[in-house]
Amino acid sequence: MTRTPLRPLARILAARRAGENPDAIERANLAARHEADRDEQRQRAEGRLLVLGIVFLCAFFMVGMKMSVLAASDPAEPRALASGAQIVAARADITDRNGRILATNLTTHSLYAQPPQMIDPERSAHELAAIFPDLDADKLVKLFTGKRKFIWIKRRISPEQQQAVFDIGDPGLLFGPREMRLYPNGHLAAHILGGAGFGREGVTSAELIGVAGIERAMDETLSDPGRGDVPLRLSLDLTVQAAVERVLAGGMRLMNAKGAAAILMDAQNGEILAMASLPDFDPNDRPRPLVKGDPAESPLFNRAVQGVYELGSTFKVFAAAQAIEERLVSRSTWIDTKGPLTWGRHRIHDLYDHGPALTVEDVIVESSNIGTARIAMMIGPERQQDFLGRLGLFSPTQVELIEAPGAKPLLPKTWSEIHAMTISYGHGMSASPLHLATAYASLLNGGHEVKPTLLIQEAPVRGRQVVSENTSQQMREFLRQVVQRGTATLAEVPGYRVAGKTGTADKPKPQGGYYEDKVIATFAGVFPADDPRYVLVVTLDEPVETSGSEPRRTAGWTAVPVAAEVIRRAAPLLGLAPGVEPSAVEGVTLARN
Amino acid sequence: MTYLESKVQSVPTGARKILYANWAIVLLLTAVACVGFLMLYSVAGGDLSRWAEPQMKRFAVGMVAMLLIGLVPIWFWRSISPVAYLVALGLLVLVEIMGFVGMGAQRWIDLGFIRLQPSELMKITLVMILAAYYDWLPLNKVSRPFWIIPPLVMILLPTALVLKQPDLGTAILLIAGGGIVMFCAGVSWLYFLAVVGAGVGLIYTVFASRGTDWQLIKDYQFKRIDTFLDPSTDPLGSGYHITQAMIALGSGGWGGKGYMQGTQSRLNFLPEKHTDFIFTTLAEEFGFLGGISLLSLYGLVVLFCVLSAVQNKDRFGSLLTLGMGATLFLFFAVNMSMVMGLAPVVGVPLPLVSYGGSAMLVLLAAFGLVQSAHIHRPRSR
Repeated sequence: MTRTPLRPLARILAARRAGENPDAIERANLAARHEADRDEQRQRAEGRLLVLGIVFLCAFFMVGMKMSVLAASDPAEPRALASGAQIVAARADITDRNGRILATNLTTHSLYAQPPQMIDPERSAHELAAIFPDLDADKLVKLFTGKRKFIWIKRRISPEQQQAVFDIGDPGLLFGPREMRLYPNGHLAAHILGGAGFGREGVTSAELIGVAGIERAMDETLSDPGRGDVPLRLSLDLTVQAAVERVLAGGMRLMNAKGAAAILMDAQNGEILAMASLPDFDPNDRPRPLVKGDPAESPLFNRAVQGVYELGSTFKVFAAAQAIEERLVSRSTWIDTKGPLTWGRHRIHDLYDHGPALTVEDVIVESSNIGTARIAMMIGPERQQDFLGRLGLFSPTQVELIEAPGAKPLLPKTWSEIHAMTISYGHGMSASPLHLATAYASLLNGGHEVKPTLLIQEAPVRGRQVVSENTSQQMREFLRQVVQRGTATLAEVPGYRVAGKTGTADKPKPQGGYYEDKVIATFAGVFPADDPRYVLVVTLDEPVETSGSEPRRTAGWTAVPVAAEVIRRAAPLLGLAPGVEPSAVEGVTLARN
Repeated sequence: MTYLESKVQSVPTGARKILYANWAIVLLLTAVACVGFLMLYSVAGGDLSRWAEPQMKRFAVGMVAMLLIGLVPIWFWRSISPVAYLVALGLLVLVEIMGFVGMGAQRWIDLGFIRLQPSELMKITLVMILAAYYDWLPLNKVSRPFWIIPPLVMILLPTALVLKQPDLGTAILLIAGGGIVMFCAGVSWLYFLAVVGAGVGLIYTVFASRGTDWQLIKDYQFKRIDTFLDPSTDPLGSGYHITQAMIALGSGGWGGKGYMQGTQSRLNFLPEKHTDFIFTTLAEEFGFLGGISLLSLYGLVVLFCVLSAVQNKDRFGSLLTLGMGATLFLFFAVNMSMVMGLAPVVGVPLPLVSYGGSAMLVLLAAFGLVQSAHIHRPRSR
């Protein structure tokens, strides 16, 4: 910038000569410079304003366009109204496997008024207030005599109330049918059913839509008008479900747990016979979702399907099965269990010392972390991933619940050796109890893959083979040993030959690391061991068993007794006859010359 | 002696000032507020005393306050803007502490006759101090990196405090409003490009982290984003408002159902029907035409602000007017986009129409400053 002197001497002298004040010249100069500044600034500012204006205009246009799109959209009256007002939204019933009703519809009515057609608004208002004590007669009179042509009075009234209103005899009081979803069993199977609510609501009808659970996942099917009166039949057994829920609730209280989940599944075809998650809710009066805090603490949260937890030692059987399947070991191979096992910065411990070595069978029975980790090292991370993937532990379960696709197992990003080792005993990856039940079913039913389902399977299903029949049987024998002499001795239910594995995993803190005194205790098992029919998974969240001298948290003391009680109650209901265990052949040596 | 003071003599004095106010803006604001009264009356089901009457009283008070503020010379407002900003910042910190002590999220301070939300106050004092800053700063320094830092601190400090409350809507308004003032003040393009680039990068990173073990935000926060992108995934949860609002808008059609004839909003489907979601009632009862008319009224207010700013040769007054116009714009643009599902639900009221005292008074006070800038603008003799 070239600076002009503030007071050009010549001009000052000229001004003096003319008898003017030289300061005036300075002021004029200053003003001129400001003016120049101003102009430069103005030019830049105008460019900026133009850009801003364009942005504003774009925003106006976007809002305007969206408004016109919405205005042009159909006024969205409920679906049932379109095809004739007589047909009220016919949503199919839901029943259990034996045809007992789980969800059905109930016709109620809404009440509205059209004041122009009213004969005696004053009297009607007072009579209405007598029928519905929560209405205020004076307010109603004001409404009925006001300018409004349409007034909602009640969204849902009972048949008795409807009759009473009808008896007032005012033609300006009108009813709109309201189909309501009713769950006659209350809390029973709440998380599976989910709940329903009104979607689009018009004067003469309202559309019932599924809100959660199977109601939501099967919404299309249930509201299909072509379905007629055919109910949706689930694989659940209402009686068994009720028994499981009661036992689980009692067990949760006894073990001072804050949450619990149980799944009883048909091991052969993946049908879920009972599935419970506590705390629960009443689908007839579904609570609002939590606005703050952890959604996993809400009663709406289905722990069996949505909750992904580290499931602990229940995973060990996968490592053993794979090693045997791939002929890396046999059941009597000795595995080094000297502890602690050091790998890089990590040290793997056992709960107590198992001595220098155990057989593969005893690694499972004694639940040795070190032994399992060594087996996992023989397998290696890649093959381990492949095997767990085949058991369905890497992807969301395909069960018919809207919540299922959201429950992705949590996996480590890289799958290094240390991950392979910790995952072999159930730490470092999280999956839902339903994942575990499915994987156990596939592994123990003779080795063919099952997919969990809530719908009744008309035809027998047989998935591809995951492990051989022989491996599967050996695993059942291992797990039977766990119940007979290992960590799950309390699971023994005479006559039902329970085989299963416990798992106790420390709960991760949200900020990283693990809690010392909070665990997830899990029992996963199959029964009867010689003829695998049912898989049972019981999970308790933060259980503490306090009958002893010091609090006990391990699954053997918490989840296992609950699981045993479930089996004791559910097995007879399933029509399973207690039997005698075929005794193992002993003292006979096969010899071949 | 600044340019402004050299021209002070040309500014009207005394009671004559009122004649020089920007009456177009006054009329437009009154019109918008009247729409608000009508809608509040309708939403209350024909009950005047429930929401409409208090709103009218507050509007009258606000109007008087606006004119009084307008009569005070603009250089007074400029000289107190740092103090005003610091006071607002102090109040924000104060509610933070009070809220912490009281173990609840408290966003307001009770002044007896009104509950003042410091975050509302911050919206205007931020614009004030930024305008004053760029008025003070020589033009050639505007884009120097060093001189960018103070305004950034001025914007980000209150934003951080507001985010902690947590009030996402106000945070967005503060950042966008401050950004617009900086943009109008002539800060280089490159900074804005950098900020936009960084923002896009950040969003991309957050989404890329989903499902990996370095995931940056919680699962349920992702779920809220999912719900925004597709409200029908959770129609009775967080998507509830949006779904119902869109049905209301759809059922209004082009011409609307007629005044007091809306059913969707009156059936109590919408919990926030008299505050943040009042636009749905308007759209249902007056349809597309009603909605676009209200939009045009707002648009005209913004337009008159811009015109006033262009005429104004005082840099502070000009930037202030633009900033306030932009704040109004952001208010209604964010609110309408939210109601129509173009933006996530962040809790921004529809200015002058939604029920609520603090927001209305603060907005009218802001327009008082605009009036002051207009009345006291330098004129050539």
